Amino acid sequence: MLACLPARAVQAEDDGQWTQPGKDFAATRFSELDQITVANVGQLRSVWNFSTGVLSGHEGQPLVVNGTMYVVTPYPNVLYAFDLTKEDYPLRFKYRPDVNPASVGIACCDSVNRGAVYAEGKIVYNLLDGRTVAVDAQTGQEVWKATVADLSRGETITMAPLVVGDRVFVGPSGGEYGIRGWFKALDLATGKLVWEARNLGPDSAVLAKPGIFRSFYDHGTELAERSWAAESWKQGGAPVWGWLSYDPELDLVYYSTGNPGPYNPEQREGDNKWTSSVLARRPGDGSLVWAYQFTPHDNWDYDSNAENILAEIVIRGATRKVLVHFDKNGFAYALDRATGEVLVAEKYVDVNWAQRVDLKTGRPVLNADKQTGKSKGMVQLICPSLEGGKSPASPAAYSPRTGLFYVPTVNLCMDWEARDTAYLPGTPYVGANVPYHPGAGGSLGAFIAWDPAAGKRVWEIKEKFPVWSGALATAGNVVFYGTLDGWLKAADAKTGKPLWKAKVGSGVVGAPITYRGPDGKQYVAVYAGIGGDWFLIAGDIRSDDPADVRPRADFAPDLSRYTSQGGIVWVFAL
Amino acid sequence: MSGMCRVMVAVLTALAGIASADEPTNPAGGDAKVAGQGEVLFNVMNCDGCHGAGGLGFVGPSLVDGRWRFGGDDAAIFHSIRDGRPHGMPAYGAMLPDAVIWQLVTYLQSQPLPKDVPTIAWP
Repeated sequence: MLACLPARAVQAEDDGQWTQPGKDFAATRFSELDQITVANVGQLRSVWNFSTGVLSGHEGQPLVVNGTMYVVTPYPNVLYAFDLTKEDYPLRFKYRPDVNPASVGIACCDSVNRGAVYAEGKIVYNLLDGRTVAVDAQTGQEVWKATVADLSRGETITMAPLVVGDRVFVGPSGGEYGIRGWFKALDLATGKLVWEARNLGPDSAVLAKPGIFRSFYDHGTELAERSWAAESWKQGGAPVWGWLSYDPELDLVYYSTGNPGPYNPEQREGDNKWTSSVLARRPGDGSLVWAYQFTPHDNWDYDSNAENILAEIVIRGATRKVLVHFDKNGFAYALDRATGEVLVAEKYVDVNWAQRVDLKTGRPVLNADKQTGKSKGMVQLICPSLEGGKSPASPAAYSPRTGLFYVPTVNLCMDWEARDTAYLPGTPYVGANVPYHPGAGGSLGAFIAWDPAAGKRVWEIKEKFPVWSGALATAGNVVFYGTLDGWLKAADAKTGKPLWKAKVGSGVVGAPITYRGPDGKQYVAVYAGIGGDWFLIAGDIRSDDPADVRPRADFAPDLSRYTSQGGIVWVFAL
Repeated sequence: MSGMCRVMVAVLTALAGIASADEPTNPAGGDAKVAGQGEVLFNVMNCDGCHGAGGLGFVGPSLVDGRWRFGGDDAAIFHSIRDGRPHGMPAYGAMLPDAVIWQLVTYLQSQPLPKDVPTIAWP
């Protein structure tokens, strides 16, 4: 039994724009626009496209604000501003920051960027080389530029910031480089640092304060230091490269952290808090209010950087304000977002590293034969793979109309051979060899609809390749997603019936958006441009470097037959 | 200092001397034992973190496809590791002695070169 209420506390009235990465503070990626319907989506046609001139993975999404579309490219992080009020959408401006090229070699997984946020007349986004910039949305002039991450420590930035009031929130990538993860608040007007919180280490740095920090499961002090052997927290990871959300009623900003490092877990015994976790902080002073670790002592690279979508759903007869999270580890969680209590945790893909999540303790019940470490040799066929049951780079969407979540999923498993590794600041800190294998069932991915209260798939569309795009849900009861073989697709939100598709020239790893144009019509926009992890692991999709020819990946041998690199912005309309 | 240590120091000193030449050549070229040491280092120092297991390529380019952005002779590979290259290859000269860099060069040069196959075709 499922009944859903609109999440009034976190959703303002829809103005037809797309001003934040996840559409709203709740990160729903749901639009109230309903001109495009199940009945007419078949007539959707391309009306415009634009090559960004950049070949890396085009993750994230454009923004549409005041008749302008803003596009941030992967490195070198060009900002394009297209005038939607004029025919052919000519540029208002192009902003080309001077990004340090050394950052490309310090980004673990392609030189991606997950987008910008609009606030107070400014477009704010992050540069790969560890800086945050604010650009005047009208003129394209730089308002401020702030160095927030340290390249020499292996920190880069790929995430999309969020703005709450006069604060800009940012965090680093670098879970494969031995960083010590953090979360920072900058002043929106000046870029000056307001506060900084570490995800690892002593309470004084984590901003876990007596009387304020009150996690549902974890009690005591110095948890993020005591849960690490020796001083392994000092290069323990916990990057922040995913998506942020905010509950104005509770005044909590939510973010999740990535994997602990290195991949050999025997070099960092303990739970390794707060890696692979979700943290809730006060935006005002950064105080940690609660935290929950999805994967204690993560020994599978199960980053928890996936979005935390805020919704109100009925669970066991009671309406609950929840945070819904599809973790790389293969479990879909619904947490009480005031306390961090786990209300639902069910497998949304094949999972064999754990049997289930114990709701009393909040901890996974482990399968002994899928635990990894140097002393365990090559551990075979762990599901899901470290690409996740869903990639955190590919955000899900939530429709309050259907009460369902729409989730891109990945059906891969892996072997894991850990070994000792050395830490050199600013270089990779990994220590594992991890071959992949296709999961069972004959398809490498699916786009699914998920009932968050029952913890069950409602429908699924199987795809030949992993689904690595974000999802978009609309009030027209049409949902959109893209595929690695280069299609943008639409389906019926209630039934999963495929309704429409268009070839977009390269695999889709970005997230579709929808907006009302200056002419009053509803549009759908998406990036094409395969990359991210697929740049690394597909083997032969690359065509731009004559000195880098690799064999095809044995688990996805056909991908290069359908796609190569290349960033394109597409706009569709009826 | 044990006898073995004395030998090691002498070897390292000799290797360092050779490496400082303008166009260095690999003092250990073709030595399978040194290549084995290089393979261990390739993993322990996380070269595979960028270049993939076995140097097959990951975020960094393949090192075993027989093709080189900056040249594949002794001096070119040595300089790539010691001094770094644009777009991401760090300079390891401050972190690794020349002798260790030569072990890595020797390992890479010991990898069997595939036949250069420019064509991929599907049935």
